[in-house]
Amino acid sequence: MAGAFGFKGCRKIRGSQIRNLLEAKEFFLFDCDGVIWHGEKAITGAPNVVSSLIRHGKNVFFVTNNCTRPRENYVSKFCRLGFTDIMQEQIFSSSYCSALYLRDVAKVGGEVFVIGCEGVRKELREADVPFVEDVDAPDAAIANCALSPNVKAVLVGHDDKFTFLKLAKASSYLRDPNCLFLATDNDPWHPLKDGRILPGSGSLIAALEVATGRKATVIGKPSRFMFECISSQFRGVNPAQCLMVGDRLETDMLFGSNCGLDTMLTLTGVSQMEEAQEYRNSEHSCFVPDYVVDTIADFLPAFEELD
Amino acid sequence: MAASKCARLSGALTAQLLDAVDSVLFDCDGVIWRGDQVVPGAPEVINLLKKNGKKVFFVTNNSSKTRKLYADKMTRMGFDVREEDVFGTAYCSAVYLKTVCKLEGKVYLIGTDALKQELESVGIQSTPAGADHISGGQIDWANVPLDPEVKAVVVGFDPHFSYMKLSRAMQYLTDPDCLFVATNTDNRLPLEGGKAVPGTGCLVRAVEIAAQRQAQTVGKPNHFMFDCVASQFGLDRTRCLMVGDRLDTDILLGSNCGLKTLHTHTGVNSLADAEAHQNSGCPERQGMVPDYYVESIADLLPALQG
Repeated sequence: MAGAFGFKGCRKIRGSQIRNLLEAKEFFLFDCDGVIWHGEKAITGAPNVVSSLIRHGKNVFFVTNNCTRPRENYVSKFCRLGFTDIMQEQIFSSSYCSALYLRDVAKVGGEVFVIGCEGVRKELREADVPFVEDVDAPDAAIANCALSPNVKAVLVGHDDKFTFLKLAKASSYLRDPNCLFLATDNDPWHPLKDGRILPGSGSLIAALEVATGRKATVIGKPSRFMFECISSQFRGVNPAQCLMVGDRLETDMLFGSNCGLDTMLTLTGVSQMEEAQEYRNSEHSCFVPDYVVDTIADFLPAFEELD
Repeated sequence: MAASKCARLSGALTAQLLDAVDSVLFDCDGVIWRGDQVVPGAPEVINLLKKNGKKVFFVTNNSSKTRKLYADKMTRMGFDVREEDVFGTAYCSAVYLKTVCKLEGKVYLIGTDALKQELESVGIQSTPAGADHISGGQIDWANVPLDPEVKAVVVGFDPHFSYMKLSRAMQYLTDPDCLFVATNTDNRLPLEGGKAVPGTGCLVRAVEIAAQRQAQTVGKPNHFMFDCVASQFGLDRTRCLMVGDRLDTDILLGSNCGLKTLHTHTGVNSLADAEAHQNSGCPERQGMVPDYYVESIADLLPALQG
């Protein structure tokens, strides 16, 4: 179905085409924001799509760059928004995967300096990864700020309490080339429900990259790591049997491409059809989806046929 | 004058160069002082140049002080300097907004009080500097409407930079008619005592990434700072010398403006850095190769005293 030679179809599909896809794939990876919900509101039909997939014996995973809440909060949110029976184990967030990376891959032998929200800190605590609690007086001196001697990694994610002082401290720690520089994700901005936008982790990481002259290792999409987390925890996750469904070309589609998965763009979020076509016309195939739907609710008629 | 580049300046060559210039532009950090430590011999060099009838100016990317504060600091250190001779990016950004952008409207400011004052001195109002002037969480910020009089976002050095300010700036910049100006893009700011902290460049990049727009940068190596000095003092660029420690800002500014350039080794870059650019074979890097170098500007003293 997908191009064997890197050609991506970018085709809007419906009806029997979706049914064929549903039959061909075993594993469905969904981004969350803009795909299954907008803020606190489920996208119409999305809970039904997810439960139908599960009812038909498909494996469903949620792969999100949103690092602001721990997985247990996601479980509550799924419940609250009408998605039934979603287990914590199905949820792969960039904060959870960053904790896994620090514990299992980097095997960080000291503390982590964290720029991020409670979501990140909670996942680090759950994974028993020690981190530095940032408790500075508001007027702490930027040049002589107290540094912890045991910091071996800096982890940066979305932080609505980001300050110059945190930037200064992080860049001091990163002067040691052996100190790891990790980012939960690199998303530059995020849309809010009412059309406004918010700065993303990517903007904070950019500041630190300029300060240090170093590039962060990004855990979240489009990096492969979150897929590696999934395939290490679940048996038989074969890329050829996966479909990645997302709303952002530069994260979700690129992620799918990087991991050898078929990709589907849903138009209920960030990226528009015109942008996908522009990438296709300029031969940037890694950003181009194989398939496009207006909303994942377009899956529902296909289930009716299968049932 | 010199067909070759990166020549050591000494002896007769120094006297020749001094005869060939009427004005000398100095960077500050790493050239005439390091933090609060004056470079030995620097005040004598500046004062002798002036005594010998040369015009002397100071051109710094540091956006955290007003020109008056700089002049005061220099006077305290023994430099015979007037406020009008000092061109910092806070001042130059204000001039840029007024004379080039012809800004009518307010500025959303990410910067210090110094930048606010320099803007006010050319008649441009801005939002307050300092710590977040709206307390509370994201919801509170989100509920404060944008000021319709804001027509430009200006980013300078700001030790009170925060996510909320970043978010606010980004909201204003969704209007493509809202200007986006950066005082400078240096990645570090030297402080008193020889320490350094993240520079304005970090804050500018954060706003650029969030807003998906590029800032117009006023500071070196952009030619505007030289234009600012030249227009106020009627300089002949063929008889100007730019003296600096950074190849990618000071020397590049000099090259971009057709000035003679002198690299001093008391700051960021070394002779090896200059030679690396020279031997790179990259045309774009040749602008960072100085005409001459000295170990310290004190090396000019023998020619000035003789």
